[in-house]
Amino acid sequence: MANRLYWLLPLALLSACQNEPKYTQYYNEGQQLYEKHCSNCHQSEGTGLGLVYPPLVNADYMDAHADEVLCLIRYGRKGPLTVNGKEYNQPMPGVPLLTDLEVAEVATYIYNTFGHERGIQDVKEVGEQLKRCEK
Amino acid sequence: MKKSVKEMSSKWVKIGAIAVLVFAFACGGKEARLPIFGERVVQGTDTVYHQIAPFSFVDQDSSVVTNATFAGKIYVADFFFTTCRTICPKMKTQMKRVYDATAELPDFLILSHTIDPEYDTVGLLRDFAKRLGVESKRWHFVTGVKDSIYRIAQTSYFATAMEDKTEPDGFIHSGAFLLIDKAGHIRGKYDGTLKEDVDRMLIDIKRLRKEYGE
Repeated sequence: MANRLYWLLPLALLSACQNEPKYTQYYNEGQQLYEKHCSNCHQSEGTGLGLVYPPLVNADYMDAHADEVLCLIRYGRKGPLTVNGKEYNQPMPGVPLLTDLEVAEVATYIYNTFGHERGIQDVKEVGEQLKRCEK
Repeated sequence: MKKSVKEMSSKWVKIGAIAVLVFAFACGGKEARLPIFGERVVQGTDTVYHQIAPFSFVDQDSSVVTNATFAGKIYVADFFFTTCRTICPKMKTQMKRVYDATAELPDFLILSHTIDPEYDTVGLLRDFAKRLGVESKRWHFVTGVKDSIYRIAQTSYFATAMEDKTEPDGFIHSGAFLLIDKAGHIRGKYDGTLKEDVDRMLIDIKRLRKEYGE
């Protein structure tokens, strides 16, 4: 047990320290990718549009489906989904050209903006999850 | 001597003030009229301006929408499709802003044409409008015969709209908003993806309404 806690310490320190260069780089790159690929619909401020495009601001869906969010960034999504109690049903095209790193950067940006504070979304874990996506 | 200088200068101030007023009135009045786009033909003493051709489409309520729908109305037209991921979402965000800003204007309507009528059926447009939270009596989303939509886009509104399989979404189209007056003349063209340009359009709508004494 003590052994396990020992391993958690550097991890905790890492996530607490968000001003490290790697985080900043992920975040800034992610912001540019978000503006290019996502903001047309979800808006620069993450507010979405009516019941057509869901918001990212304080979106409970992002917390409840973090793994799926990574998949839909690359592969898109069809069918109804509920965000903060409202139902949306506009097909979202994915951006299949995004590399694992770019998906991680977009995720880092959206999960540390719009009322979310999840810290860096590292390319290693993101890459592992992307392998598990249903395409 | 001192007094006369004062009188003189006050006289000049008066003349100056009148000149400024006349200038402001004459030029201000001229400036307030928006241009009329397109070719014009002079027939004797009359000038015939380019006008939106007759059209007939169906909107999200399955109602037939023609030029008569816009009789006595100022309207803004655009071309889009619901599955477009490039410029249309920006255009729709801006048009929603126009819709909200013109809520109190009884003589103003919006006309959005789909350029993908095979996919964007009446039912789909109804759903889209509902999700956008807009009323069909103020904002018509129309579908129809594809060629008719493309033709009116290109020849009446001077807007680009055509299929192109090499494009990411399969279509080429402009993000233009066209401001049409009560006589069917184009009075302004704006980039519907740019907030600043749409702000300019909102000002021009007010200017155009003034021409009608509104």
